[in-house]
Amino acid sequence: MAIAVLSCLHANLAAVEAVLADIDQLGLDTIICLGDLVGYGPQPNEVVELVRERGIPSCQGCWDEDIIEGLDACDCSYPSQLAERRGQLAHHWTASQLKAENRDFLAGLPFSLRRGRLLFVHGSPNSQHEYLLPDMNAFTALERVDSAEADTLLCGHTHRPYVRRLNHGSIRVRVQKPAGAATSSSNLASSEHQLDLPLRRLINAGSVGEPRHGSTKATYITVDEDHDAVEIREVSYDVERTCQAILNAGLPPIFSWRLRHGFEYAERADDAAHVCER
Amino acid sequence: MAMWALLSGLRGNLKAYEAVLRDLRRERVSTLFILGDLVGPDPSCHALLERLRNPRRGELQPQCVVGWWDEQLLAEWGYRGRSRADGLRAAQGEAAVESLLNAVDQADMAWLANLPFGFRELDCALLHGSSADVSDSLSSDSSPLLLLDRLTRMDVNRLFTGRSGEQFCVELSGGLDSNLQHLAGVEEHHQSVPARKVIGVGCVNPGPTAGPSTYCLYNPGSDQVFFQQVVAQRGFA
Repeated sequence: MAIAVLSCLHANLAAVEAVLADIDQLGLDTIICLGDLVGYGPQPNEVVELVRERGIPSCQGCWDEDIIEGLDACDCSYPSQLAERRGQLAHHWTASQLKAENRDFLAGLPFSLRRGRLLFVHGSPNSQHEYLLPDMNAFTALERVDSAEADTLLCGHTHRPYVRRLNHGSIRVRVQKPAGAATSSSNLASSEHQLDLPLRRLINAGSVGEPRHGSTKATYITVDEDHDAVEIREVSYDVERTCQAILNAGLPPIFSWRLRHGFEYAERADDAAHVCER
Repeated sequence: MAMWALLSGLRGNLKAYEAVLRDLRRERVSTLFILGDLVGPDPSCHALLERLRNPRRGELQPQCVVGWWDEQLLAEWGYRGRSRADGLRAAQGEAAVESLLNAVDQADMAWLANLPFGFRELDCALLHGSSADVSDSLSSDSSPLLLLDRLTRMDVNRLFTGRSGEQFCVELSGGLDSNLQHLAGVEEHHQSVPARKVIGVGCVNPGPTAGPSTYCLYNPGSDQVFFQQVVAQRGFA
């Protein structure tokens, strides 16, 4: 049976509607959302209400967590000081707009969802804020999947969709310990073995509401468990409708500029060396 | 090349520290690192901290990092936001928290609060727990994938840790193939790991019944690790 997995909706109603229509057209009735329903975009209530109406099981994303817990929940995801200031602006605007029942809904979202050997999280099994990037160290990627006791880890947060198959590998392990009351390196107990690594898969659903993979189209993925097939899907939507709503809401114009281009490079260029110490 | 001495787990015990310093006189040591757990429920705690700050003539000035016991104390004093010494409380009860609070002078707190989380020296990480957390207890039984992750987080080839109290050296090497599918196509990747090591430095004050005082020496020139025991000090309080 195939399922649809979406992430990072970011209060972009036009994009969410288009992706749900695409899923309906494929005839998929199991949908799972990996969080970040709100933030950046102009329709937080509408998007949360649509997810609630459709009964879509969701994890809590970093923006959902921050809206509930306050900005201190942030482990810092901003690439620059300007991006951080704009993010805070969007945070306060979203917090002021969100209805109480929608806020309660976000507060009640779980950190992760499990379906057999599939684990669904927003960032990583460690944190909603950790980025599992497509080119990350393969051993680290494997550790994140394996430590979560899953065969496949599905995540979002990076806004870049990908499927990373961790295929064949091994680790040679040599352990040395003091033997008895030894005090020198010559009296060591030594053992050695080879650990054959398990086959695992890391899937990133990209972003519905704020794509940053180089295209303006919304992305999500479908996973066919029976046939071991994963498809990354791109969906066109009315970008201008959301861009205009961003400007009408008084949110930073760069959020609409970014939607029109599908990248985050404008903010990266602001202050590439910035490291948030909050 | 002169060696590094790496200690952990003093837990307020000045006599145990002095015994290690005597032991070190036999070695050519250039740098002394203390990987946390400076404080503990020992009456000599303040005297130990004073000695660490102000070594006697001829003694090395120790480079100290914060440990689990130190974190518990700092948390209980309110230096860690809303956190308190919940770990110590859960593991050893309220009496242990009280003993710890009584063992350390308030005047020592500012110095403890300024201890670094760890050091990165050459291609070595020097920490109490791991690059993930001060409470992370790495041992010879830890998952090799987890050990590699802790090395990768600090982008080092050697990680020295004291949290488990165990003396060990785990050497890891290997490779992993993966393929990456994205909208533009599929890429094949191979990741290899050069020989990387996680080293447990032992514990200077494991307690009166838990065995001898242990620490380790490391020669950064030859990459040799020497596990040391201070056998004569068995049974110090």
